[in-house]
Amino acid sequence: MSVRPDETESKENAEFRREARAWIAANKPAHPGFKLPQSFLEVESERQFTFLREWQRKVFDAGYLGLDWPAEYGGKGDPLKRQRIVSQELNRAGAPFLVNVIGLQWAGPTILAVGNEEQKKRYLKPILSAEEIWCQGFSEPGAGSDLASLSTAAEATADGWLVTGHKVWTTLAHFAKWMILLARTDQAAHKYAGISYFLFPMDAPHVTVQPLVKMSGEGGFNQVIFDKAPMPKSALLGQLGQGWQIAMTTLTFERGAAEGTGGGQSTPTESSARAVAKLAARVRREGHLAAGDAVIRDRAAQLWIEEEALRLTGQRARIAALNMDDRPLATRLMNKLVFSELGQRLSEFACEVLGPDATLWVGDPQAPDKAEWPRAYMNSFGVTIGGGTSEVQRNIIGERVLGLPKTK
Amino acid sequence: MSAATPIKLEVPTDFGCTEEHALLRAEARRFLSERLPIAELRKLADAGVGFDRALWKELAQLGWVGLVFPEADGGAGLGWLHVEIVMEEMGRRLVPGPFLASLLAGVAIAESGSNAQRERLLPAIASGDLVATIALCEAGGVFEADGVGATAEAVDGGFLLRGQKTHVICGTDAGLVVAPFREPSGRIALFAVELPATGVSVEAEVCIDPTRPTARVGFDGVRVAAQARLDGDGAAAWHAMLVRGFAALAAEQVGGAESVLLITRDYAVARKQFDRQIGFFQAVKHPIVDMMCGIELARSLATGAAAALDAAAGRTAPGPPSHQDAGAETLARMAKSMVSDVYCNAVRKGVQLHGGYGFTWDCDVHFYFRRAMWSRSMLGDGIHHRRWLAERLFEG
Repeated sequence: MSVRPDETESKENAEFRREARAWIAANKPAHPGFKLPQSFLEVESERQFTFLREWQRKVFDAGYLGLDWPAEYGGKGDPLKRQRIVSQELNRAGAPFLVNVIGLQWAGPTILAVGNEEQKKRYLKPILSAEEIWCQGFSEPGAGSDLASLSTAAEATADGWLVTGHKVWTTLAHFAKWMILLARTDQAAHKYAGISYFLFPMDAPHVTVQPLVKMSGEGGFNQVIFDKAPMPKSALLGQLGQGWQIAMTTLTFERGAAEGTGGGQSTPTESSARAVAKLAARVRREGHLAAGDAVIRDRAAQLWIEEEALRLTGQRARIAALNMDDRPLATRLMNKLVFSELGQRLSEFACEVLGPDATLWVGDPQAPDKAEWPRAYMNSFGVTIGGGTSEVQRNIIGERVLGLPKTK
Repeated sequence: MSAATPIKLEVPTDFGCTEEHALLRAEARRFLSERLPIAELRKLADAGVGFDRALWKELAQLGWVGLVFPEADGGAGLGWLHVEIVMEEMGRRLVPGPFLASLLAGVAIAESGSNAQRERLLPAIASGDLVATIALCEAGGVFEADGVGATAEAVDGGFLLRGQKTHVICGTDAGLVVAPFREPSGRIALFAVELPATGVSVEAEVCIDPTRPTARVGFDGVRVAAQARLDGDGAAAWHAMLVRGFAALAAEQVGGAESVLLITRDYAVARKQFDRQIGFFQAVKHPIVDMMCGIELARSLATGAAAALDAAAGRTAPGPPSHQDAGAETLARMAKSMVSDVYCNAVRKGVQLHGGYGFTWDCDVHFYFRRAMWSRSMLGDGIHHRRWLAERLFEG
C-alpha cells in the first residue's frame, strides 16, 4: 500500500517534527506508579504536582515550549505552527499534560495581548518553565454564568488595593503563585464597567485557600477567601475598569476559539471512539463480546463520525473561503461546546458498554482500567460547566454568531 | 476496502482550496439566487415540474454537468471540491432535476467506459443534450454492488437484460440510464442503455419530493448491443461512483440544511409572542444553535471527503501519510451518515419552531423537509453507513 509523505508540510517543519518526536520518545517519563490526574483539573497531591511540574520543566528546557512567544519573554519567536507541531507530537506520544495550563493558555496569552512591558518581562518566562503556577479567580458563589455580577471588591489604598471576597472552582490554587483575578473597583459604575483585571500574588497575607471535593471524590479544586488581602499597584492588568473586556479575551483563549497557546493543550489524537472500541473488544456482556453488539457498534461509529467532524472543523476554521461569509467565527466559537459535550457522551457511553463493572470505583482491584471511565465521565462535567457552561455557550453562539435576540 | 487498511483520514491542511473555488461559490450563489428564488421553485413544484429543460441547459452551459468529466470528454476536468461547492449551493436552492444522477452516470462512464463509449456519451451528457441518469436501487433498497440481482446474459453479439430498478431520478425524462447487472460469472457489469428502448418500461413513482421525480425502470428481457456494456470492471466502477455519490449528495444536503437554518433563524427574529422575538427564548434559541453546530460539523465532513477525493486523484498534495482513497471513502460515508441526520433534524426543528405556520403548505420549510427525507434514504442512511464504519473502527 502506498504511503505518501505529507507534502503540505515544509521540509523544515517536517524535520522539526521528526526531532520533536524523537526527543519526546527518549524523554517521556515512565508512569510513576501512583494515580495520575486525568487533567489539570484533578491535581490533588504534592507528588502528582511535582511529577507534572518536572515534566513541563524538561519540555521547556529542551526548547519545546513557548515557541511562538517572543524571545525577549522566554519564547522563541517562531510561528505558531511550530508549537502546534509540538502539541500534536506530545499528544501522539501520550505524554503527560503540562501542568501550568492556566498560565500557558489563559494567563500567558492574555498578558501577551494586553500586559505592559514590565509585566511581560516579569511573568511570561516562569509560566513556561512551570516555576510559577497560575490559577484563575473569576467565578464566585453568586456569580457563575452571570459572571459580571461578581462582588469581590478591590479597594484602593495609597500603594495598591485590598481585596475582599470569595472565589470558587479555583483549580490549582493550592500550588499557585499567581492568580488572574477579576474584582470590582467601582461600585457605582455599570456592572460591566466596574470590573478590573489583576495579577494577584497568592502568597499575600489574608488569603485562605480551602480545598473543595469534586463529585468524583477527587481534589484539585478550591475556593479562595480574601479578607482585605493586599496587592501592589503593579498588579493591575490593562486599564482600571477594563476587566470585563480583558476577561473576554481570556475566555476566548480558554474556550479554544483563539489559539494563544504556549503549548501543551491536552487533546488526545488517538480517537476516543477508537479507545471505546478497543474497550468493547475486551468486555463481555451476557456471554458475548461487546464489540459484536450491533447497537454498541452503531453508537460507537456515530461518536467516531462526530470526532472526525470536530477535528476537520478545527482544520477548516483556519480557511476563510471554507467558512460561511455571514458567520466566519462560527467554527471557532462552537469548539468548546461541541468538544466538551462529545467527550461527555463518549465517556458515558464507555460506562454503559462496561455493564455491571462500570459500578466498580477507583481502588477496586477488579475495576476495568482502574475505573478510568466512570471517573472520566464524572470529570467531564468540569469541561461542560467550566469556562462557561454549555447553556451559556449556546447563548453566545445564538446571539453573536446567528444574531438571535440577546438573553440579558 | 479491506478491513486491514489503516484508518487515516488526513486531508490536505488547506483542503486543496484555492481562489478558484471561492470564485465558483460566488458565481453559483449569484446565479441560483437570481435564477431560482423560492417563489420560482414553488411554481415548478406546484405545476409538478421536476425537470425543467431550460434550467437544465443553463446548468450545462455553466459547465456544471460535466464539472468533473475529463476535458478530453467535453468536461471541465475539475475536482470534487468544486462539486462540493456547486452541490451545496444547489442544495440551498433545492434545484430540481437530474444533476446528481447525470453526474454519477458520467462518473461511471468515465471510470469504466472504453474510449469510444466515452467519446459518444460524455460530451453529450456534459452539454445537457443527453439527459443521463443512474439506476441506483433494486427492490429491498439494495444499492451497493454486492446485492445487485438484475441479470445480463450474452446473446449473439449483444446482451439480454432482466431486472427491476427503482427510484431512478428523472427516469421519465432520461435519454440514457446507467445500471449494474450481474453476469452469469457472478461479476457485475455496468450497462449504459439509451432510452426509450424496446422492453424497457418506465413508470413514474409518486415521490415525496416533487422537485426530485423518480421512476421504476423495468428491464424485461431487453436486448441491447454489445457496445452498451461498459468496458471496465463493473463492480469497481460502481463502487467508485457510489463513494463519489455519497460525498456529492452529502454536500447537497449540507446546503439544504443551511437554508432551513437561515429560514428558521429569520423567523425566530421576526416572529413575536409574549411581547418578545421568539428567538429570545432559550427553548427556541438553543435548538437553532444545535442545528447550526450540526451543519458546520457535517459541512467539514463533506468538504473533507471532497478534499480527500481530490488528493486521492493526485489533484492536490495529500495531507500527512495515509492511504488516501480509503480515507476518502471513510469520510464520504461519515459525511453521508451525519448530514442525513443533521438535515432531518434541521427540518424537524424547522417545522416545529415555525409553529402552526410551519405545518402549512405556504411555509417553505416543507420543501426542504421532503428533500431531506428523500436524501436521507438514498445512497445509504446513517444506519447503513455506520455499519460499514463500525467494521473499520472495530476491526481496523
